[in-house]
Amino acid sequence: MKTLVKSLLVATAAIAVISAPALAQDTREYSPVTDEMLLDPPAEDWLTFRGAYNNQGYSKLDLINKDTVSDLQLAWAWPMAEAGIQETAPLIHDGILFLQTNNNIVEALDAKTGDRIWTYRHALPELPASWSYQLNQARRQKNSIALYQDKVVLTTADAKIVVLNALDGKVVWEKQVLDYNVGYSYTVGPIVVDNKIISAISGCSIAGTAGGCYILAHDFETGEELWRFNTIDDPNNPEQQASWGEVPPENRWGGTPWTTGSYDPETRTTFWGIGMPGPYSELIRGSGDGSVLYTNSTLALDIDTGELKWYYQHLPRDNWDLDSPFERILVDQEVDGEVRKMVVTVPGKNGIAFGLDRETGEYLWHKETVHQNVVTGIDPDGTVHINEDLISQAVGESHLACASVSGGKLWQAGAYSPLTQAYYVPLTEACNTVAPTQTEFTAGNAVGAVQFGPRVLPEGVTDAGLVEAISVSPTAGETLWDYRSRPAPTSSLLATAGGLVIGGDAARDVKAWDQETGEVLWTQRLNAPIGGYPATYELDGEQYLVIPTGYSNSASSISSAFPEIPLPTGSGNSIFVFKLPKSE
Amino acid sequence: MRQFLSAFLLVIAGMLPAQAQTSSIPPEEFDSTSRLAGDSINVCFDRTSLGRTFDEDVARAIGDALFLRVEVIEGFGGFPLNGDALLDEVTLAMNNTCDVFMGVSVSPNSPVSDAFSITRPYATVPFVLVVADPDWQSLNDIPKSRKLGTAIASMGEMAYITWAQQQPENQRWVRLPYADFDLMTTRVLDGSIAGMILWQPALARILATRPDAQALHVIDTAPVPPSETRVGALVSSRNSFLRSQIDEAIDALVADGTIAGLLEKHGYTGRAGE
Repeated sequence: MKTLVKSLLVATAAIAVISAPALAQDTREYSPVTDEMLLDPPAEDWLTFRGAYNNQGYSKLDLINKDTVSDLQLAWAWPMAEAGIQETAPLIHDGILFLQTNNNIVEALDAKTGDRIWTYRHALPELPASWSYQLNQARRQKNSIALYQDKVVLTTADAKIVVLNALDGKVVWEKQVLDYNVGYSYTVGPIVVDNKIISAISGCSIAGTAGGCYILAHDFETGEELWRFNTIDDPNNPEQQASWGEVPPENRWGGTPWTTGSYDPETRTTFWGIGMPGPYSELIRGSGDGSVLYTNSTLALDIDTGELKWYYQHLPRDNWDLDSPFERILVDQEVDGEVRKMVVTVPGKNGIAFGLDRETGEYLWHKETVHQNVVTGIDPDGTVHINEDLISQAVGESHLACASVSGGKLWQAGAYSPLTQAYYVPLTEACNTVAPTQTEFTAGNAVGAVQFGPRVLPEGVTDAGLVEAISVSPTAGETLWDYRSRPAPTSSLLATAGGLVIGGDAARDVKAWDQETGEVLWTQRLNAPIGGYPATYELDGEQYLVIPTGYSNSASSISSAFPEIPLPTGSGNSIFVFKLPKSE
Repeated sequence: MRQFLSAFLLVIAGMLPAQAQTSSIPPEEFDSTSRLAGDSINVCFDRTSLGRTFDEDVARAIGDALFLRVEVIEGFGGFPLNGDALLDEVTLAMNNTCDVFMGVSVSPNSPVSDAFSITRPYATVPFVLVVADPDWQSLNDIPKSRKLGTAIASMGEMAYITWAQQQPENQRWVRLPYADFDLMTTRVLDGSIAGMILWQPALARILATRPDAQALHVIDTAPVPPSETRVGALVSSRNSFLRSQIDEAIDALVADGTIAGLLEKHGYTGRAGE
């Protein structure tokens, strides 16, 4: 009956609720998001996943600052349209806040009042019961929209690109990019550059997607595919092919780029992080001691052709699902009169920070953060050495790997502040056992080649949470300060020109830290674990701060480490918007 | 008995777990209602299961034995090879919809939590080594220079890996994991790989649908030890009554030859029960 009801609901949605405008007539105007705006985003807007193509997560606004942050008051709040795991990244332009939530629902809200302008509810095909992985992914949408011209570009759990009118939410065009029937699914949103939608597909660990995991470019006007790059099969690079041993492309899985990439307009290069190989254990995947490129790598791709300019592998020969897809931040620093262009990232779950030369991919430095035992060293030339004692030589052989499969670092993005030249990273201290295994649920059907133990604190560690400020230069990454706490951080971080770093944790506390010292200047307890990507914008001379809250896997998976902090029973998926009191 | 069973289902369905944010499933996804089952049971299936039709026949036989109407429900399907999200969906399906989930592997590595119990196996079916070369009668006949395919993350693959890890490298066959058995069959037929190890129901399906596969034949896995999968069903651990009734029904169906007849009907080798 439940299935039937859900099916009926989906069918109803398909017919009637494609896009529901608010009842009142809205006469507002909307200025297009131009290429010029995206290259130099207006301070009052928040136009992309991390505020700008450089993925720094930094706002030039400074009305909310070290002196005023303690005066913040609630302006308005809004419940999200759907239950589900909450990893949203609100975007703001021209007085409209665009909020994407689970099951590919997009809502446009008046950024001043919080009133709804329109809702788009994507009709997902046959999701109840039959395509469980996509259903699960739909419940776990991350940031999934981009703003371009007068449109909103949405990527969906059923592997579509959908382009909506920003003013009324009506569908302009949609395109089936890859076949969801074999397992492809979008879980993160695109960037749009010079009329090209650059997106990255997920679902590359499903049986039917063997041999192909892609970063793609589509024409913004027509949806025509312009190029695609396969992260696990590069016929132009014999080294990449050899890195899989004797395993041909049709027997390879993984390599999912599941965090939205960054873009350098000067070199017309887009940078993406790539996830783990599949199956996790080399004993099962048959790749021997090969490094299995381009898994756990940074890729630099030509925006016009999709050709690979360079790659750097942060973790070769992954056996522990220590994924490395997370944010690639572009940083320019002037040293002795010379501008050094870098990619700075904590790419993977093991929490190691890297600095790379953005033009060549040359390794510059690394810095460990949380307790980890998988990487034993990195040579001056950037060669990463792994702890081969942690590679299982037999089915069932178990090892304690740190960080855990849920991090260390996870999807929660760090932020870079040009004020302090520091990278602020939300992290969790955690380990788990890993053992290759053969797991069937339904007989004869493989659903698990590795068994993970529960996420536990490393020995001698009592604080799960860590926010680390890493001072960044072209030669080193060094600790500026660190902030440890019992609960784990559960949101991404936002850095601002007001000298603040803002983010929150499993204890429902949103905090503002002093960028220079790590001192906590403001704390506000909300309704649920802080989640998603905090953002900020300015309207009519007032700066607003958006804090998403809600259901958090990152809280639940490590909650045993802080049993004194109860997690809510309900999801509570919401956004809370704060501002300063109006001066008289 | 039918009324008693239904009443029991009603009672236990009310004892649902309190869900805080301590699992990976948002609590709103769980139904907190009691199923009014009447004289039927919801029997769920993995739509991608290799033994889907056989399992349904067994479910109907169990239903007949217990005087219960079997409501067939497609449980779910289509998971990544790493099992990501599988247990979430099992938990949701068992909480919200299914009284019984058929076709479940009965093994020490079973991934399901203590909230669920697995019945005794109603069938035991082997993994087989399949080749195209008529001269080969066992794995030992295949030159070490050739490659083998294995059904990825299967019990048959585990048996091969465990054996291979104990041999010198030059005494092993290179093995490639396959999730697509049709593709693996094509690779055996075109000679890319010498043979494939897969669950026998998968071979039965291939033989039933591909005329070119008639050239294939099953050979002895020696020196690799044989492996097999026992097939049972999943029920809620709280519903010990239902589980014991199904166990008794399975025993009866094994004893009277019903299961053996169904194995034969579907072209499966192996045996009824353990």
